[in-house]
Parts: sequence; structure tokens; C-alpha cells
Amino acid sequence: MKRTALILLDHAVILLFAGVLLTFGFLAPGFLSWASLGNLLIQSSPTAVLAAGMTFVLMVAGVDLSVGAVMALAAAVAGKMMLGGFSMPLALAAMLFMGPACGLVNGLLVTRLHIAAFIATLGTLWLGRGGALWITETRAMNLPDSFLHLGSSRLLGIPLPGIICAAVLAAGNVLLEQTPFGRQLRATGHSAVAAAKAGINVRRLVTAAYVICGFCAALAGILVLGQLGAVSPKFGLNKEFAAIAAAVLGGTSLFGGRGAVFPGSLLGAALIQAVENGLVAINANPYLYPVVTSAVIFVAVLLDTLRQRLRAAATRRIFPETEAKAFSASAAA
Amino acid sequence: MIQRLASSEFFVLGLCALLLAGLGPFTPGLLSAQNLVNVLAAMLPLLLVAAGQTVVLIGGGIDLSVTAIIALASVAGAKIMTLSGGWMAAHPAAVPVAVGAMLLAGFLTGLANGIAIAWLRMSAFIVTLTSLMAVSGLTVWFTDSKNIADLPPGFFSLGQRLPPALGMAAGALALTHLMLTRSIYGRWIHAVGHNAATARVSGVPVPLITALSYTISGLSAGAAAILLTGRLETGSPVLGQTMMLDIIGAAVIGGTSLFGGRGNVLWTVSGVLFLTLLDNALNLRGLSHFVIMMIKGVVILLAAGLDVVRRRGQEE
Repeated sequence: MKRTALILLDHAVILLFAGVLLTFGFLAPGFLSWASLGNLLIQSSPTAVLAAGMTFVLMVAGVDLSVGAVMALAAAVAGKMMLGGFSMPLALAAMLFMGPACGLVNGLLVTRLHIAAFIATLGTLWLGRGGALWITETRAMNLPDSFLHLGSSRLLGIPLPGIICAAVLAAGNVLLEQTPFGRQLRATGHSAVAAAKAGINVRRLVTAAYVICGFCAALAGILVLGQLGAVSPKFGLNKEFAAIAAAVLGGTSLFGGRGAVFPGSLLGAALIQAVENGLVAINANPYLYPVVTSAVIFVAVLLDTLRQRLRAAATRRIFPETEAKAFSASAAA
Repeated sequence: MIQRLASSEFFVLGLCALLLAGLGPFTPGLLSAQNLVNVLAAMLPLLLVAAGQTVVLIGGGIDLSVTAIIALASVAGAKIMTLSGGWMAAHPAAVPVAVGAMLLAGFLTGLANGIAIAWLRMSAFIVTLTSLMAVSGLTVWFTDSKNIADLPPGFFSLGQRLPPALGMAAGALALTHLMLTRSIYGRWIHAVGHNAATARVSGVPVPLITALSYTISGLSAGAAAILLTGRLETGSPVLGQTMMLDIIGAAVIGGTSLFGGRGNVLWTVSGVLFLTLLDNALNLRGLSHFVIMMIKGVVILLAAGLDVVRRRGQEE
């Protein structure tokens, strides 16, 4: 009985995902067509990329609230450059430079000035958003069609955004699961003090996590530009919350040390996108989208909490929290 | 030297004086009596909700849902008392019922947050984030994203005339302060914020204390909604949407720790005063919206940096 419950809870997000797909497939014929499902994956690629980057930061028990602002800032700079006559590769390069640069600022604020990640990235969120509004003069900026072409172009029959997303997820997964860097990140997330004693350069490691997150934010900005072809004042607004939610849905802990880029981030992002697309397909009131989405996120996180408590009960100690930590440590090892 | 200055209780008040002295001569109108009264009136709603947030932060949590609660309470109250088609339009008891409903909306949302966090043991960040999304979504859906105007004039005095608003805010603050410093609840919430596991072993009813802190935060957001709605003369489904940075910023600038166990409502008062003065001065100087955003971002970072210095000073 308990074992069945655990097995079900272990796959809670996949089951929830299947449930959402089947429900909307039943309500709206055509929702489960290949074209629609392919579209779903392409639409969720920016959030999946953001969530992949966020996973690195969450892994070291940090958080990056500035990713949406970084997206907007990088996109605003690229847009200004394109309209000013620079070529597209140059604009893209500028975006890919700005992302990690912003990440570096966040990382230094957290590791050198010891500012809590929440506050540091909240501050840079406002700096970034203010800067983006400044550059765009608070007006929407329509970019040349080349960005839209980029978003809809295909390589070997596969849409380019899908390829970028797959590449980021694959690279992130290898980095986190197969390299010393990934293992050190995990160790730091469990206990920064212990990691430092084991000879890990915690500061450099944590900074690197924010830089990776910034890079992913810039990439996500490029993907969204490919979808929209314009920079508006609301570009990337509240994307940080979608990214954190997707990462958490994918099984990443907010307290560090536990998480995975693949399939977690993709699954989380696709689940959120599936709910939204499904609501569109059944013509639901648009105002209700955030309500349903947040309910699904809540249920998924509740199930994950239950799972951890059940696991913890199985090891039979006094304090559930320490057990959960101990369990995830042994699972990670 | 810097550490001693920074760790002083009056440090942030000093910053406020510095701000006034530094910008006053170059900013016409900043030091006028009328403007200072305006600043005081503008402070009050932020003060209420930041005080509630302080309680949650002391307990080692965070409440991201307060801005949504403000909008929900504003709309709920307005829907009851609006003269054009309200549920109790022109009824003599409409205003008191509406005010009660606004507080109740805050209380219930805070309680729901608290139950999910304390008894279901979900992460506070995720719970209050989803309730931020859900509550603001519901509020916008309920109103079709329209403002609710035509509120009875009897209600405005609560937000517009200074004495009632000031009395309400001061009363709530004094109550919260006494509760945190003089009651067993205050000791327990500090204990929970320091180390929840130790507190539980020592017999502190941790879930109850935690749930109460979110309820207090929700209630204070409801109270802030009363003042804000009175000032605006309309119930708005997006009321308070941009206040998040100010709320957490005010608490942190004041010296409340994001990691729990350390905080004080009076510190938060000076944090609120500082942010409101800064906002007011920058507005009077005619700076644009996004420049103010950027300056506030930098100020938050500086304040957080100073907080680190302050903490080190205390550890030594």
C-alpha cells in the first residue's frame, strides 16, 4: 500500500502531465494532434531553457529573480542594435554576452558581498527592468523580420528553437550529472560549509551557477524574440516565477542539493504550457489561466512534499527535515 | 567605525535625515509642510503591510502573496459598498460591513497560506507564489479587469483624512510591536525563525506559530487595502501590484533578516520612511519612472550590503 503510494508519488509530475493532456484532449478534439503537441514543445522551450539555468542556481540553494529582467535588458539592447543598423549575428552575440555578464553581477553580489540571493536578484531585477525601459523608451519595439525567420526556421526538418532547447538541456544535464563541477554544485547545495572544508572553491562555484543562469536567460530571450519579433515593456515579465515553478515541478528543491535539468525542467515547462494551451483550446476565460496554472503547480508541489515525507517516514528518525535531507543526499550519491 | 554606525538602531533614520538634508535644498517642495504630510499619508498603507511581512520574516518565512491580497480585499470591499450596483449599495451598514469583509479577505487568504505552509509543510516561497498568482487571477477575473468606482463618501475619510488613517496604522503597529516584544508569541516566533527544529523540541507549537504569522500578514494586507482603496476612491484589481519591492525592501533596509530570527517592527517603520522619502524626492525632482526603478534597485542592494556589515558588527 505504502509502496504503491510511493511509486505513484515518484512519478507524480508525469502522471499529472498525462492527466492534463488527456483531460484537455477529451475536452478539445485536436489538442492531442502531433502538430499541436509539437507546437506545445516549441512554445515551452524558452521556459524550459530558463528553468534549466535556474536549476543550477537552485542547486546551490540560491535563487535568481532577475532572469525575466535580464531577458528584457538583453532583448532591448539587441533590438536597439538591429534598428541602429547592426547585423543580426552581432546583436545575438551582444545578447549572449549580456546574459552571463548580468549573471556575473548577481554572482558577485551573492558571493563577495554576501547579500541574500533573494534580495540581490530582486535589486538587479529592478535595475534590469529599469534599464530595459530606459533603452526602449517604454515603447514597444518591432524588430526586423529576420528574428521571426530565425524562430520559424528549421534544421533537418526540426524547428530551430527545438534544437536550441534540446542542446541546452543536453549540455546542462551532462554538466550537472557527469562532471566534477556538477557534483561539486550538489555538494555545495547540501552544505556550503562542508563543501568548503572538502576543498571546493564555493565562491567561484556559486558565481558560475549565476553566470550559467544568466546565459540561459539570454538564450531564452532570443527564443522569445524568435516567437514574438518585438520587444515590449512587458518582455519577460514574471518569467522568473514561471522558471522557478518549472524547475520545482521538475523535482528541483528550493533548498539546494536536489534537482535535475533533464527531464525535470522540460517536463515542468511543458506541464505549465500544456495547461495554458489546453485552456486556450477549450476557450476558457483568459483571466482564469493563472488561477488554473497555479492550482496545478500547487498540487504538484504538494504531492512532492508528501512524497518526501513518506520517504522520510520510511527511514524512521525523529526530525522529518533532516531525514529528507539525508535521503536526498543518499539518493544523490 | 562604519560597522558601529551601521549597527546603530537609528542608522536608517540617520539615512533619512541625510536624504532630506542632501536633496532638500535642491528639490523645491520636498521640505514643505504639505509635502511632509503627504509623505506621512503615503507611508501608512506600506507601513501596515510591511509590518505584517516583518512578522513572517522573523519566523523565517516569506509572503509573496500580500500584493494580491491587497487587490482582492480592495475589490471585495468595493463590490459590497459601491453605489452603482453594490451588494449593499446605500445600506447604512455598508461601509462597516465592507471594511470587515476587506479584513476578512486578508485573514482568510493568510490563513490558507499558513495552513499549507505549517501543516502541509510546503515551501513558503512556492505556496505564497501560487497564491499570488491564483488570488490576483481570481480578482481580475471577478472584476473583468475593471475598476469599481462610486464608493460611498463616508468610506473615503478612512484613507484620505490623516487622523483616522494614522490612528489605525499606529494602533496596528503598536499592537504588532507589543506582540513581538512583550508576549510569548513574540518569543516563540523568534525561536521558530532561529531554528524550527530546536523550537519544536523545546515545546514550541511550531505549526500554529507559523500559520499565525501568515494570518497576521494577510490581515495587515487587508488593512492596507482599506487605506489604499480610500485614497484611490476606487476598488482596483491591480491595486498594490508594484509594491512588492517596497514591502520586502522596507523590512530588509530596516534590518530584519531574510533568514529568520531577527527583526523588529520599529526598524521596519524607518525602512518604510526611507523608501517613501526617496520615492517622493525622486518624483519631485521629475525623474522618470524607470530611472526611479533603477535607483531603487541600487538602494536596495546598498541597504542589503549595509545589512551584511551590520550583522558582522553584531557577531563580533
